[in-house]
Amino acid sequence: MIFTPKIVARIVAIALLGVMLQLSFFSRVDLFQVSPDILPALVVVLGLLGGSMTGAVAGFWIGLLVDCLLVEALGASSLVLLGTGYLAGLFRERFEIHSSLVPALLCMGLTLFAELGYAAVQLLLGVDSHVSLLLIRDMLLKSVYAFFLGWAIYMVVRRILRPALVEEPDSPRPAPSVLGAR
Amino acid sequence: MYRKQVRRRRAVLALLVLGSFALLTLTYGQSSNGFQRGVSTIFSPLQTVFDRALKPARDLVDWFDETFEARGENERLQAQLQEEREMAIAGQVALQENAQFRKLLEFDRGPALASSAFEPLTARVISRSPIIWHSTVTIDVGSDDGVRVEDPVISGDGLVGRISSVEGGAAQVMLLTDADSGISAKVLPEGVQGVVRPEIGDPEDLVLDFIDSTKRVSRGQEVVTSGWRAEVVASQFPQGLPIGEVTRAPVEEQEASQQVHLRPYADLRDLDLVQVLIGGSR
Repeated sequence: MIFTPKIVARIVAIALLGVMLQLSFFSRVDLFQVSPDILPALVVVLGLLGGSMTGAVAGFWIGLLVDCLLVEALGASSLVLLGTGYLAGLFRERFEIHSSLVPALLCMGLTLFAELGYAAVQLLLGVDSHVSLLLIRDMLLKSVYAFFLGWAIYMVVRRILRPALVEEPDSPRPAPSVLGAR
Repeated sequence: MYRKQVRRRRAVLALLVLGSFALLTLTYGQSSNGFQRGVSTIFSPLQTVFDRALKPARDLVDWFDETFEARGENERLQAQLQEEREMAIAGQVALQENAQFRKLLEFDRGPALASSAFEPLTARVISRSPIIWHSTVTIDVGSDDGVRVEDPVISGDGLVGRISSVEGGAAQVMLLTDADSGISAKVLPEGVQGVVRPEIGDPEDLVLDFIDSTKRVSRGQEVVTSGWRAEVVASQFPQGLPIGEVTRAPVEEQEASQQVHLRPYADLRDLDLVQVLIGGSR
């Protein structure tokens, strides 16, 4: 990804819009008693398009903003989301994305990773309350929602950041011609 | 060149991880700090705008969800109606007995709010935490409206939670289902005392913990705030706010774990308007 001030501004706007939509909309709707969580999917998409550093940095700042707005202990969401973004970026750097299903599957898998990460951080910090087995259902359903939402987020974010993507020029280039060839 | 890039990447990653741990160490256990209050103050008007703008879309999704749920719930409600009829008759008898006991003990247990110094302040929920472990919502009233940390928050059905942090124009409500929530309560009519704690991950199940194992609690009994204070656990709530109804109370669980399960009266997953009880004597 080629970073220009304009592209950075777009990424910031995407992150802000994502956090606002999550807190004001997705967290407040229930589908089969579970609210979707788009933030891990958003971080995964930024990691897939921008690489491991973009994913990690975006995850850190998105997590920090969420923790600030929810007045939770700062750093917990940052830690989880930066790991999520970094892994997504690492995947992008190591493997080619041949199928359009790959981003959606990655969103699903890494959302599950993020949910497990939240649980791990919370358990490390200490949990005095009882933990229901329904938590596992919540984590799995959030991952399933991330499959569908992640696909849509990938399409939208890729379109917004298209001018900065190295692999995707704005217009298809003509095939290279060789002098003297017929 | 490539190695330099790799080294730089690793350095940035290590810096971010260390930064996260440092922030976590510095801020864990604090209710809020100046930085968080500042960010929250800046974003709360934006959250209000998003909340209002997205309400029709939320209602649409909720409508779909409720339609799915209603299909399965119809049969369950038929059976429950029959059960409720029987309980209503038993309730009438209990009410008569209760009135007699009240007279005998001269125990004034009017409506919880009438006998306290609290005043209800209506607020709108503007955002909600996406993290399962943190069951918190943000409301559009804050210290400018007289809201203080620890103020009780109720809905039309019963207790919802308490204020965990407050800024000028917004406040965070820690719901009953939050991992850090603990509310002193008692079971009516016997008055068995305990602490209501969440069953994390299940918003329809709470646990009344630390009850006296020599006393029996049974299904269907009402749990309300007890309003007492002790050294370790203190109730910041007026006495008698309805919390929920006992749904599971196996004798062996009461004896072994000193706990029973209850379902909150308030629908904690679908909060739109709530009331903060401000001005209590604390």
